[in-house]
Amino acid sequence: MKTKIIAILPLIALLSACSIIGNSKEKSNKVVIEDRGTGEVDAIAYEQGTFEWNGNEQVANTDAMPKEERENAVAALKANGGKLVLYFDYDTAVINPEANQEIMQHIAFMQNNPKIRLRLEGHADERGTREYNLALGENRALSVKQILDFDNRIEVVSYGEEKLQSSEHDKNRRVEFIYK
Amino acid sequence: MKLSKWLMLILIFAIGNTHAVLKVTVIKKDENAFPIAISPFKLIGNKSKDKDISKIIHDNLERSGRFDALIPIAVVDKINTKYWKEKNIEALVTGSIVQESDDIYRLSVNLFDIYSDTQLFTRSTRVHVSGFRKAAHQLSDYIYEALLGENGSFNTLLTYITVKENAKGIKQYSLNISDSDAMNAKSRIRLDSPILSPVWSPEHKYKNKKIAYVSFQNGRSEVFIWHPFLRKKIKKLPRFDGIASSPSWHPNGKSLVLTLSKKGNKDIYSYDLTNNKLSRLTQHKDIDTEASYSPDGKNLVFTSNRSGQAQIYIKNLKSGHINRTTFTGRYNAKAVFSPNGKHLALVHRVDNDYRIAMLNIESQELSMMSGGTLDESPYFSPNGDMIIFSSRRNGKGLLSVVSVEGNRSYELSAHDAEVRAPNWSSSLEN
Repeated sequence: MKTKIIAILPLIALLSACSIIGNSKEKSNKVVIEDRGTGEVDAIAYEQGTFEWNGNEQVANTDAMPKEERENAVAALKANGGKLVLYFDYDTAVINPEANQEIMQHIAFMQNNPKIRLRLEGHADERGTREYNLALGENRALSVKQILDFDNRIEVVSYGEEKLQSSEHDKNRRVEFIYK
Repeated sequence: MKLSKWLMLILIFAIGNTHAVLKVTVIKKDENAFPIAISPFKLIGNKSKDKDISKIIHDNLERSGRFDALIPIAVVDKINTKYWKEKNIEALVTGSIVQESDDIYRLSVNLFDIYSDTQLFTRSTRVHVSGFRKAAHQLSDYIYEALLGENGSFNTLLTYITVKENAKGIKQYSLNISDSDAMNAKSRIRLDSPILSPVWSPEHKYKNKKIAYVSFQNGRSEVFIWHPFLRKKIKKLPRFDGIASSPSWHPNGKSLVLTLSKKGNKDIYSYDLTNNKLSRLTQHKDIDTEASYSPDGKNLVFTSNRSGQAQIYIKNLKSGHINRTTFTGRYNAKAVFSPNGKHLALVHRVDNDYRIAMLNIESQELSMMSGGTLDESPYFSPNGDMIIFSSRRNGKGLLSVVSVEGNRSYELSAHDAEVRAPNWSSSLEN
């Protein structure tokens, strides 16, 4: 846990810089990430300044996040430049270093929405065999799950090459973030 | 009003059924194909029917690419060897169908060698009217064997997936079975979520035949077993953590291997259907998948990316040793053993194309079997003579069948659906 936090430290700085630049969205309620919890991740986030967030800070004490609230939160994540799809290189499940910023956004999002759950759907392009691609797609989703590190809130599935999104291979090698 | 409603129902039923019916196109035949004539069968008894027996035999022999078959216009009653020699016909099939009772017929067949002027065989059997097609396939195998000295693969079954978009643009997946000639097609499992990797169990008897396949109907890949000829239809394997995929049968039909991703690691497990026990066959941090047994059950071939790229490995199940088997190319996957255990058919990447190749395991000789860009899912015909695989033309999936020598081929396609993931059953017994 600790080593990962240190590794992502510069990325948080980058992310917060970005969120300041992209500050034109005015509808969102300002929620300060350091207000919740006392874990190490929060402490580091505090050092890096405030994040913009949309959604109710007080999450109801139920297992699932209310639908409307969840949808608002996800909409705000997207409005802040959050991507719900992460792309991969050919025949690899290694997360591209350039994608770390996007990953950080999701980590912050899950911290801020402790009741939200995430389904990670791993996909592959159509090259190679369907069965191998099913395994590859799962490895991609597992790579994301591992770095997010919210094990009991994340479900992983793989569709391999069964749900192609595009005729371009690059657009099909992906993990989709489905918050629920 | 009522009539039109009925008509509509009939129409819908017919359309629903055409979905799985494939068109057969012979692409290449042997240059020295065996010239043979198959006479229309002589019908004895006023309610006797032909049921296309001679046509089924003709089409089977033609499709194999090893015969130039023709059907004379009239029934051949007496064999005039001189006449057939002049026509360069080397063998002649004649037969008769005699009605014995309402639905029972006696079928008699002769195979005659024109050149040596000898009868090669004469066979006769009683057939229920529902069994004509099967009898024709059996006869095709007898003729093939008598003339070529090799086993035929006609009295066998295929399974394949068809994918079709409905009016709302939603993909409809069907798991189909058919006779080896793509006739008698049935699609009983239809879903709007992906189905993949169907594979016939090795038993020869109809009632014991099963198909293991992967379905996403519950939102994740799970392995199911379908008994297409039993009322007790579908059984789901127990839920495992992570994905379950790529099933393949042990030659004894009592267990199957599959890929499970327990704790995230994709490894190969054997699942014993008699006692529901799971045992692990590979253990590696990288992907191990697409396992398949050798015909004697002593070795297991599988795909692994443990070298950094997908390659084929064989595990000796007695010693436990795992050896890498492919060394040519950066991507080799989904290998299956030939029926004699000496070759593998596999997916091999050439530049940016994925093609079917055949590897001689001992000599390491690799022969290219296809020229597509995204060919996959190779499987041998039960006599080892041909390889069936998924291919694409103009972006649409179809099945290609090519002889192991590469000199003969045919295709199976649907005009309104994608066809993929073929698998060929062992020969049938009653």
